[in-house]
Amino acid sequence: MQSIGSNNTNSGNVTDSYNNTTINITDQDNQIKQWLSPLTPQYRHQSVQNARVEGVGEWLLQKSEFREWRGSRGVPGRTVLFCYGDPGVGKTHIRLVRKSPGQQGITDRQRYQLLSC
Amino acid sequence: MASLYCDYQDQEQQSTTNILGAILVQLFPRDEIREPVQLAFRKAQMVSGGRAARLPDLVNILKATIALLPRVCICIDALDECLLETRLKLLKSLEEIVKDSPNTRVLLTGRPHVQDEVKRYFPKAITIFTAPTPGDIEIYLKEELSLDPTPTAMDNELETKIMSVIPEKISPM
Repeated sequence: MQSIGSNNTNSGNVTDSYNNTTINITDQDNQIKQWLSPLTPQYRHQSVQNARVEGVGEWLLQKSEFREWRGSRGVPGRTVLFCYGDPGVGKTHIRLVRKSPGQQGITDRQRYQLLSC
Repeated sequence: MASLYCDYQDQEQQSTTNILGAILVQLFPRDEIREPVQLAFRKAQMVSGGRAARLPDLVNILKATIALLPRVCICIDALDECLLETRLKLLKSLEEIVKDSPNTRVLLTGRPHVQDEVKRYFPKAITIFTAPTPGDIEIYLKEELSLDPTPTAMDNELETKIMSVIPEKISPM
């Protein structure tokens, strides 16, 4: 038993083999994620999302270029969209643009799809 | 949707490998991604002392698996904030990753001067000039005014003036 404990420093509270396995898997997933990258974009994502004002940037969804980009059948080379502009014009918030909830005829699912391209 | 925000204050850590690694972390819950990543991780662990993730491995994993997912959108924000070398490597890697994957979308943002670099790797990329419209500024101002901590300090006339002058002055569109 001692050897198991020394190989797995996070298993101090483990009482049976089922729990032991679960903890090992989670441990390894976290290890792999750390191995993949030390960057943590999710924190930035949260603050961008909190700062955004509903409805701003909706014009983008109407643009023919945007519609072409997110169209279901990707034409080779046209699946890449580059939004350019000067600092502070709101490029960072572009990817969170979605139709405002008040807009008629849009289901939650469609709204989500807009958000996720 | 997998996103990354480039930041000029973090250029050292924002290498191409770490950026693509962060994209993989976000896609990791998918079995199609998890399995090859676990395999690469185990291989790297077998090297004495463990080996860091390598760019070609990450590119290959993404390249081989992204087309299997329903639809992935990779967003890289503020390309201009990463180092030139990183940016070029990243664009080249993305080009390789999405080449055979018509379902995948890439959304890039950056200052105008990086457009030439984007076009070098994605000559057919769709470009949109981004700037707030007067409508955007109106929505934003309304929101800010509704949160004014001392609303009585401003009369209607001033509010009307703010709403008409600022959107016109700021918006280039």
